[in-house]
Amino acid sequence: MLRQDPLLGAATGQVLSLKGSAIYKVEGGKLLKIALEAEKGKILSIRIFGDFFLHPEEAIELIEKGLQGAELKEESLMEKIDSVVEGNSIQLFGFKAADLAKAIMAAVSKK
Amino acid sequence: MKFRLLETGENPAAKNMAIDEAIMRECPHFGMPTLRFFAWKPAAVSIGYFQSLEQEVDLAKCKQLGIDIVRRITGGGAVFHDAELTYSFTCTEDSAIVPKNILESYALICNSLVLGFGELGLNASFVPLNDIVVNGKKISGSAQTRRNGVVLQHGTVLIRVDVEKMFSVLKVPDEKLKDKMIENVKQRVTSVEQEAGREVYFREVADAVRKGFAENFKAEIEKGSLALEEKALAEKIEKERFASSSWNYLR
Repeated sequence: MLRQDPLLGAATGQVLSLKGSAIYKVEGGKLLKIALEAEKGKILSIRIFGDFFLHPEEAIELIEKGLQGAELKEESLMEKIDSVVEGNSIQLFGFKAADLAKAIMAAVSKK
Repeated sequence: MKFRLLETGENPAAKNMAIDEAIMRECPHFGMPTLRFFAWKPAAVSIGYFQSLEQEVDLAKCKQLGIDIVRRITGGGAVFHDAELTYSFTCTEDSAIVPKNILESYALICNSLVLGFGELGLNASFVPLNDIVVNGKKISGSAQTRRNGVVLQHGTVLIRVDVEKMFSVLKVPDEKLKDKMIENVKQRVTSVEQEAGREVYFREVADAVRKGFAENFKAEIEKGSLALEEKALAEKIEKERFASSSWNYLR
């Protein structure tokens, strides 16, 4: 669960769109760098950068596309990533779906 | 088992990466596994497939210092290629020379390097996923990709390392912590010369790594050259991919 909804103006309840980024070091693993745009608590677009490995490489785009429209909640992000990874026989090295979900949440959390 | 050995000398970054890809694409027709040794002239920065040049590299500084830049077809991090031996190893997946399991195949191929370091009198060990360390410090990093039934693994063997120079072209996440980071990397990275405590030439390292591959795979390694088809393909790939902004700035 989110401690606070970063996409809602707390005082007014006004819905805001948001650009976020984060650098997330996976414990004992690689670095994930996230750049995303979100609106109404959902991802509009996302790019995933980093020094990790993923097989096949081009499948990173399937993950990025698969995350479009995904709700910015750690649990549901993880499920979404897992389903794209498993559905396309993608192999991740240096991070897990849970790490990517955490990195995405870090990109939208208030610093 | 026979391997072909290619020593392609010093080349610009785009050409180096194009030769690796050409070998990879021709591998199913050529058949024989290929071990290649090469170096970079001018010095270069290569970034991993998933990285962004603008995020990782000080492009203005590279231009000023005449340092090449290129994106690899393999994942992993940004690497400053200067005084090093770079290797690549290519074989078909169905040749059963390396395991189907990617992590296991890193370990097997990297063991050739571990044995090569042994030839140089260094006690090296493999640290998954893709590093080799001597005395707890990184001395070699590798990256692997698999496409169309072919395995390509390439990587570096640091002969000399200049961390200050490395960080003059690589960006760090927090500029304020750059000095600290340089100190940290100095503690964590080493080189063949540093560990051997003497001057070591490319030739000696190449011979040692060749022996390491021969022993590890019980292979006969024969010196060869690029086939005409590979040369032609490398020229095409260099122009169309590795020398193009659309590829290098893909992400």
